[in-house]
Amino acid sequence: MRNFILFVRRFFNLILFLALEIVCVILIEHTNTLQGNDIISSANMVSGLVYKKQSDVVYYFGLRKMNDSLVNENARLRNEIDQLHSVDTLKDSVVHRKLYSADSSTHIVKFADYVYRTARVINNSTNASDNYITINRGSRDGISKNMAVISGTGIVGRVEHVSAHFASVLSVLSSKQKVAAKLKDGTTGYIIWDEKQPDALIMIDVPQQVKVKKGDSVYTGIFSIFSPDIMIGTVLKTVVVKKNAMQLIYLQSSTNFHNLQYVYVIENKMMIEKKIVEDSSGKK
Amino acid sequence: MNVYLKNMLRFCIIILLQVLILDKITLRWWSEPSGFPVFIPYVYPLFLLLLPFETPVWALLIMGFILGITVDSFMNTAGMHAFATIIIAYLRTNVLSALLPRNLSEYDGQHPSIRTMGWMPFLVYSAFLIILHHFVFFSIELWNLSNFGFLLLKVVASAVTSMLFIIVYLLLFTRQSASRV
Repeated sequence: MRNFILFVRRFFNLILFLALEIVCVILIEHTNTLQGNDIISSANMVSGLVYKKQSDVVYYFGLRKMNDSLVNENARLRNEIDQLHSVDTLKDSVVHRKLYSADSSTHIVKFADYVYRTARVINNSTNASDNYITINRGSRDGISKNMAVISGTGIVGRVEHVSAHFASVLSVLSSKQKVAAKLKDGTTGYIIWDEKQPDALIMIDVPQQVKVKKGDSVYTGIFSIFSPDIMIGTVLKTVVVKKNAMQLIYLQSSTNFHNLQYVYVIENKMMIEKKIVEDSSGKK
Repeated sequence: MNVYLKNMLRFCIIILLQVLILDKITLRWWSEPSGFPVFIPYVYPLFLLLLPFETPVWALLIMGFILGITVDSFMNTAGMHAFATIIIAYLRTNVLSALLPRNLSEYDGQHPSIRTMGWMPFLVYSAFLIILHHFVFFSIELWNLSNFGFLLLKVVASAVTSMLFIIVYLLLFTRQSASRV
């Protein structure tokens, strides 16, 4: 026993060093799984508050740009509303569901599934190997894990940690997530991001024979957490991979991640129901 | 000023400097054509480097842990910064005693700086620990050694930029304390 105490006293520093390093490794390991730990992330109260104060100050410098993009978005939305007015939904669609129980008119399902919430970006990173964005909405405002986040111009990411008033969003600029995408002609593929080419998104799994022109738009696919037909980016160049007769398509992201200020968080109301159906059929 | 108060103040200043200003700067040298890595200068280990000479190793380790975890909580990196910071906290005393002519206990009430150590020893001391810190941090962040050249390029470029910022910080703050004495 005495030897043991002497041993501990002699190597106290080394033991403390190793103990602290083990704590760090455990922390790293926990966050690299999808569950994550919400304590040490910028969704926690203290760092959330500091970032909020900072964003309150910086906010004023971007107001002019913000106005321009809001006006553009309004114009686009007005155009879409006009187009919808002229469609006879009763004739064109097969499935209908009432929006509210008191409402006697019917609507196409697709438009009633998603709820949009606005949020302001209070912290933003674009140069780590997994980039996170902190927003000023949390579980009190109805945000929960795995909701999709978009900006006025394109996709942004997926909610990963939520606290009462803040949430941190794993952005598309990350090696941890793939986004289902489709080209104009309906060909589907996945979007990934590589740290070595930080300025481009890469679309994979596209067959070689599909012809793509520079400047073509790419949209989100149907099987993703995002609502379909949200812009992802435009084609910069294509590279053919000889090995498996596929091609890589390099995209210019339509969202400018460097000056994000407002985002929309999308809640998919049918997500839980869909998940239950998928799980129950998987069990057999 | 009291040593504890002074270091607490410095802790806050360096953390805020790192989180609010340096994290927002994206440095991309020749990034577009050659795919040069993008990086942020990490200046916060300077807090550990400037603690007084006779600080015991266990205190250094605990302060390194707190420093690292604080930076981690701001950057969503959970433990990666803390891991790298604890390593340099552990090695600090050895590096200092290797570089200085006298025993560490003889420097009573002083802290490492250009004034007490001289330009060359201080630069070697800080550059060694900063490069070590960056190497450990970036290897954990990338987590594969398949692209070793990219890792080295990232470490060297970030370390050079961090050292520039550290020298600027020291020039700004040592002049002030010299005039006060």
